[in-house]
Amino acid sequence: MLVSHVMLPLDKFPVLKQNEIFKVCLDEMCRYRLGIACIVDESGRLLGIFTDGDLRRALLKNQKPIPSLYIDDVLDHGTLSPLHVFPSDSLSSAIEMMELHHVWDLPVLDSSSHLVGLLHLHPVVKALLPSHTL
Amino acid sequence: MLTVGYGKVKPVIIGKNQPLVFIGGPCAIENRDHAFYMADHISKICSKLSMPWIYKSCYDKDCRSAPESFHGLGVDHGLRILSDVRDEFGIPVVSDFSDPAWATATGEVCDMVQVPAYLCRQTSILKAAAATSRPIHLKKGQFMSPWNMKNSVRKIEAAGNYQILLADRGTFFGYNMLVNDFTSLPIMARTGYPVCFDATHSIQLPTSMGNISGGQREFIPNLVRAAAACGIQALFIETHNDPANAMSDSNTVLDLNYLEFVLTQAKAIHEARLNLIAELGEDRVHSEAQ
Repeated sequence: MLVSHVMLPLDKFPVLKQNEIFKVCLDEMCRYRLGIACIVDESGRLLGIFTDGDLRRALLKNQKPIPSLYIDDVLDHGTLSPLHVFPSDSLSSAIEMMELHHVWDLPVLDSSSHLVGLLHLHPVVKALLPSHTL
Repeated sequence: MLTVGYGKVKPVIIGKNQPLVFIGGPCAIENRDHAFYMADHISKICSKLSMPWIYKSCYDKDCRSAPESFHGLGVDHGLRILSDVRDEFGIPVVSDFSDPAWATATGEVCDMVQVPAYLCRQTSILKAAAATSRPIHLKKGQFMSPWNMKNSVRKIEAAGNYQILLADRGTFFGYNMLVNDFTSLPIMARTGYPVCFDATHSIQLPTSMGNISGGQREFIPNLVRAAAACGIQALFIETHNDPANAMSDSNTVLDLNYLEFVLTQAKAIHEARLNLIAELGEDRVHSEAQ
């Protein structure tokens, strides 16, 4: 089974423009009920990600008023050059990457670094259940 | 970095590591002779100090506290005088505008257009300012946090204009009182645009005199020195040869007799700061717990 078989399409997870602010990012993550947002440039190339972990770290490090944090560019608090996989990667190698780095979301990129999807652990587990067939 | 000035005037550059730019003049355009008198005297001071400058004066004062207060000469008459000032003295000019309908005319004459602090969130004003294609002097509202000015900046950028100067003119501290939080300057500078300190509005006591504003102009030198040390690219001061009889902001404008005294200090501190940066590097104290 390949990553492309179970990855979430672009309209099923938060994808933000590069100058989107922190508050809007949190809104989008709540709306999709996912702990990750992907941040892309004008052409759709992945610039970074912002995760629940980044949120925890930002809150713990933050010493300024929360309204000031809310209007920061979210990319300033995100993870640049994140781990990623490609649509043609095998699902098992992607799972190994998740296990190795203790993450359960991986952006999926094409050969030009354009974001094409998101590999989220829950659909992966569902796909691997014995009752599920592709 | 902004370049202010079109046509025959000598362009003024506002930006990082550039000489401090003075923006000033009488609050309101009172008449042609007075505008020329002020431009002539300020020109001589700035020439003596080798300080680039932009003449500022407004044709409409829409935020007066009282209906009988001088409201200005109006857009047509005022802009004709500003146009003559820039032709005669070869200096860029700036005026604010408080009605989007006046933006085009203001931008056709002025080298820079100014958005009044009270209107700094108004989308219609910001879009109209952007549409002039001139550099925009955007003042932080007295009610605004410096970080939220990013929203106003984004509105201007969304309208296709990327020439912005952000100014601090004080922040409301309760009623009839302003204070300066000098962290606003580096915070607004994080937008990537140059910043300006408006000294004479910062010492204003808004509408503290019942139907007009008061001011504590004795503190202008202190605030100017602090702002220049903090880091600014432009300094804004309204000045008048006869403050007691100024037709607008008579309690806050700086007496023209003191202008050289104040600008000399601002320039010296600005240059000292640039020398320190050249010697020691930019500020690099980390903002957050490690």
